Amino acid sequence: MNTQGRPAADSPIARLVEAFHRLPGIGPKSAQRLAYHVLRAPQQEAQELADALLEVKRSVVLCARCQDLTTESPCRICGDASRERTVICVVEEPLDVRAIERTGGFRGLYHVLHGVISPADGVGPEDLKIQELLARLRDVDTGVTEVIVATNPNLEGEATSMYLGRLLRPLGITVTRLARGLPAGADLEYADDVTLGRALEFRQEVR
Amino acid sequence: MHLARLELTNVRTFPRLDLALAPGAHLVIGANASGKSNLLEAIALLATTRSGRAGGDVDLVSWQALAEEPVPAARLAAQVETAQGRTELEIAVIAGGAADRGIEPTRASRRFRVNGVARRASDLIGRLRVVLFAAEDLRIVEGPPGLRRRYLDITLAQLDPTYVRAAQRYARVLQQRNGLLRLLAARRGKPDELDFWDDELASAGAVLIAARAAALRYLARDAAERYAELASPVEALTICYRPALPDELRAAIGEHDLAPRMRSALEAGRRTDIDRGLTRIGPHRDDIAFAIDGRDAGTFASRGQQRTIALALRLAEVTLSTSRTGDAPVLLLDDILSEIDAERRRRVLEAAYGVDQVILTTPDADRPTPGELPQARRYRLADGKFAPA
Repeated sequence: MNTQGRPAADSPIARLVEAFHRLPGIGPKSAQRLAYHVLRAPQQEAQELADALLEVKRSVVLCARCQDLTTESPCRICGDASRERTVICVVEEPLDVRAIERTGGFRGLYHVLHGVISPADGVGPEDLKIQELLARLRDVDTGVTEVIVATNPNLEGEATSMYLGRLLRPLGITVTRLARGLPAGADLEYADDVTLGRALEFRQEVR
Repeated sequence: MHLARLELTNVRTFPRLDLALAPGAHLVIGANASGKSNLLEAIALLATTRSGRAGGDVDLVSWQALAEEPVPAARLAAQVETAQGRTELEIAVIAGGAADRGIEPTRASRRFRVNGVARRASDLIGRLRVVLFAAEDLRIVEGPPGLRRRYLDITLAQLDPTYVRAAQRYARVLQQRNGLLRLLAARRGKPDELDFWDDELASAGAVLIAARAAALRYLARDAAERYAELASPVEALTICYRPALPDELRAAIGEHDLAPRMRSALEAGRRTDIDRGLTRIGPHRDDIAFAIDGRDAGTFASRGQQRTIALALRLAEVTLSTSRTGDAPVLLLDDILSEIDAERRRRVLEAAYGVDQVILTTPDADRPTPGELPQARRYRLADGKFAPA
């Protein structure tokens, strides 16, 4: 490949390209484009980007209780006296909290695992925020009677929910799992076989 | 069933091909490297979503498209007709992406459609069923065990959607279980973390083993009969399933409690599995044994005998596919008639007349002779284009 016209490996440009390349979803070409965009941009824009990066690292922390990303700990949800304190919804990532909040249908508390059990990627239970969940159930939110496991309906999500079920049931806590079935507004004809099969398996009585 | 229409765009040697096909025999005559095999490979890909050859998906995209188009993509589409009606299948293979421009793309992504609706690969498999006869088939007999498992997977996936799902799940669970074995060997975590993966591996694995055992019982009987017809002097072919299970579990194949017993065997073997860093039992290590008059065919049989075994196995596959689904598959014969004698040609063509459609390729217009395939439509293939011959 053509190496002419490339900045030297230790130049400031190469360092910036390298930094962008480390970001998820950014290939070498995109990293170069981003770096040269920053170079051409006004000083002001580069300053704002640098400030935003540092600010987010300085001010955003993990909530000591639910492990969600927050600028204050405990976070707004954990600190909200009007939320039900008997049920905790366990999710994989902070974005999942936002998704469930958008439904407006859940008034309990959350706990963010920051991942899911996936031994092939070297991730075991001890790499997730599970010890934090146990400590919380023991010391802070002692009135919790139900934990809803809202991990994704794939193999790793199932493994994680089963692990949590085994861990929490001996503590006298009911462990439930999100239902699986047809998406709202779906057309049966176009549903894939696995989803339709699950919907049949987990059918409900009409009331 | 038959293939009513085949459209290829930028697929290997075909920049553009649109072929309407009737039921019956179609003979494609073309010189070496004219793209005969590519044609049959494309049809098989639409049936199985697996490419019969080495090389990645990106190699399916024609080199012209790779060199000239901003987003190089190959498109394969088929209309399949059965007694139940018409189904449209489509596979798009998209190479690299705009970000890779100027660099040779090495990866490709695939999209699948059934009747115009985006679907998973597993929903496409089996809508078109084919049996592909090719010269490489003798590798099933003399090649490594992985090729025999691949043969079983491709054959069974077309007959049973639950097999496809079980195979996909099994592969993923196995990867996770082996990952956990390595974590445990590094003294992280507790062995009972294997419980979930062992449950899943046993239940998916039992589905695969039961399906393979049932199919091989059928194939063994039918292929032995075919072999007796094809071989001279008369020899006996035996085909035997060799599941990678402890002896006491082999007896449980066909019983309803295979999954729990496999689960127990996995648990009992954990210690050694952790030491070795791999899962020692299960369908990922299965094999098939071929023997002629009791002697292992992979080691002792001649090339000719191995070729005849492969032929008998493919012919048995045709009857298996027909008896399981009540509808004969499409036969694809990739230049296998030019290298066998007239009597064997007659036997193979006999099978070809029992199905709705057969597509044959040959480099030599006289093999098979017009007399051997009297009603066949004949085409000449050159430079990626078809012309009546």
